[in-house]
Amino acid sequence: MASSSDYVTLVSNDGFSFVVQRSAACISPVIKRMLDPKGAFMEARDNTCTLQNINGMVLEKVCEYVYYHEKHKDARDVPDMDFPTELCLELLMASDYLNI
Amino acid sequence: MSSRRNGARNIRGPQSALTDFLAANNISAAQIRTDYDRRRQQTAQDATNAGEGPSNATPEQDDDEALAAAAQAEEDEKKTKKRKRTEEDAIDKIKKAKSSKGGSKAKGKKGKKGDPDDDDDDDADFDGDDLGMYKKSRPAPGQFEHCDICNKRFTVTPYSKEGPDGGLLCTPCGKELKKDLKKEQRATTKAVGTGRKRRKVESEKLDGIAVGGAKSLSQLCIQKVAQHHDDIEELGDLPQSVLERLSEIFSKKRVMKSKTLPLFLRPDLDSVIVHDAAYLEEEDYRQMFAVVPNLRKLVLSNACQLKDGAIDYMLERCHNVRHIQLYAANLINEGMWHRLFREAGARLEVLKLTWLDAAFEDLVVRDLVQYCPNLERLKLKLCRRLGQDAVVTISDLPALKHLSLQISQDVSTETLVNLVQKRGSGLQTLSLEKFLDADDSLLEAIHDNCTQLSKLRLCENDTYTDAGFTSLFTEWNNTPLSFVDFNSTRDVDNNNPTGPEDAIGLASSGFRALMAHSGETLRHLDISSCRHIELPAFMDVFNGAENYPALEYINISFCNRADTSVVAGIFKSCPALKQLVAFGCFDVQDVVVPRNVALIGVPRAQDAIEQFGVGIGVEEAISRMVEMAA
Repeated sequence: MASSSDYVTLVSNDGFSFVVQRSAACISPVIKRMLDPKGAFMEARDNTCTLQNINGMVLEKVCEYVYYHEKHKDARDVPDMDFPTELCLELLMASDYLNI
Repeated sequence: MSSRRNGARNIRGPQSALTDFLAANNISAAQIRTDYDRRRQQTAQDATNAGEGPSNATPEQDDDEALAAAAQAEEDEKKTKKRKRTEEDAIDKIKKAKSSKGGSKAKGKKGKKGDPDDDDDDDADFDGDDLGMYKKSRPAPGQFEHCDICNKRFTVTPYSKEGPDGGLLCTPCGKELKKDLKKEQRATTKAVGTGRKRRKVESEKLDGIAVGGAKSLSQLCIQKVAQHHDDIEELGDLPQSVLERLSEIFSKKRVMKSKTLPLFLRPDLDSVIVHDAAYLEEEDYRQMFAVVPNLRKLVLSNACQLKDGAIDYMLERCHNVRHIQLYAANLINEGMWHRLFREAGARLEVLKLTWLDAAFEDLVVRDLVQYCPNLERLKLKLCRRLGQDAVVTISDLPALKHLSLQISQDVSTETLVNLVQKRGSGLQTLSLEKFLDADDSLLEAIHDNCTQLSKLRLCENDTYTDAGFTSLFTEWNNTPLSFVDFNSTRDVDNNNPTGPEDAIGLASSGFRALMAHSGETLRHLDISSCRHIELPAFMDVFNGAENYPALEYINISFCNRADTSVVAGIFKSCPALKQLVAFGCFDVQDVVVPRNVALIGVPRAQDAIEQFGVGIGVEEAISRMVEMAA
């Protein structure tokens, strides 16, 4: 299978899947390595990452963030992204896991 | 005079520039005056009608006024009719007046000067024609008007807003308009970033938190958590690194208090790191040691309320402490220091003590050396009562690998040389700050004894010579360094502002030797205030062909020979560069900063203190600089 399609799918532990641009998703070194066509991971073949420790709500924010990051790559004085306070700690865990 | 005016219905007399201006802006003094008069009379009339009682001291006069008011009202009505009729004529007239203004202006001014009262009486008997000159003006409060947007009839108030076409708006439409305006304003101010916000942005940049582009997601989260520190009950199983980062932010925001401290205490962790413990009291310290009995690493800064009792409790509860770092813990007594080293010394591997004033002295250091045989990392800075004897005893620490000293009292060069001779072979870090009298013999000792150094800091000294540095770095049997800090090694003498003949401190040849020896692994280079490094030396070192693959941070502040080409050379020679600090380098101008590099301190009043590379590669940046110079 052509492993380098422009979009990849991220799946949360409660079954939500998000289709994101590869370039955006790969700002996370973790996801990047999972999807590396040179690596022999299953994820790379299917273009799909299942993230067992992240739930749908958090993953949605993560996807929002990766696009936000991509959009502001070369900008300066970027306004901070907003997200609900109650998600903060879970999001922090996820960001630590994904290293973003 | 009034007759003159009335007689000249269609011939306009001289008009002043002010009148013209007011007319063009739809303001009419006469209109304002008549409106005001009418309103006043209206109220007066109302008053007479309402209470013909004792409050009216002069009823006759009031009657007169009422009559006058009625007459005025009639006149007003006439005026408005006339006004409408002549509106079109008036516009033509304005146009004419404007075109002929040039000639009549000077004359008008003269005339006015001759009779200054003229203007004042004019207002009263301005007639319809003149009023007709002006566009439809704002109706007085209390009148009805049709809204400019929704066309509804509404009562005019003093707060009625003007619509985009100049007409008045009803209250709901006015509110809508105001909201839109505010939104627009906010959008524009946000883009610029004003006041405190902007200051914060700059400070974050200098801290290296924001290096262009978006912040990382964890940073955003941590920021948010710190913002809501009051509402958090538990942080859950956050990984230790994140927890430490959070603790740092809490300290920075000064919210590390009795209430928030428990968030960071977990029995399964082996460290307690509080960078601002100023609010913590005896009880908090006890809780700390009670909850985390496996404590290995203890970091307490601003520990001004840390007392003997707490240390006593720690010795009782925590038997595994390896790392102690205290800042300003001045309430611990001499006796307790002795006890601490005697009881916990055997396991201690890291000890960092700074800003101790009262109790920590040479005798305690003797105990420290005697009872802590496994100590690998020792930092003693700004402990006021330490002196030469402490340095002598430290040289007997067998396992020492990392040593940082800054001692306020005088320490002889021989003592330091002796220290380096005894411990040098095992040292990986050597930091000797502000030993003003240390001379080239120390550099020689380092050259002869140290072979494993990776971090070397010798700063604030006016005795080392350039020759000393040169011989240190030539044929040195040490692995290349990764961290070098030689800031402020120079001679300052007001009687000899250009400095001595033979350069003192790191200068051209020493700098060349340093980069030749350590260039390939160097990560951090601080040579600020090494004022004798000449331009050719900079040019040779950062010539674009040489490559320093690891160099991330360079500080060349106050090296006043460095110029723009040096900065360009640095960009070219250091592919990993993140920060270049160049305060006080006045020959550095018009730098175009490439992507992912932050240039700090290059002055130009209207610029930000830090300049960021955005989206330009090194090559392009340099070619742009060349263009600018041409």
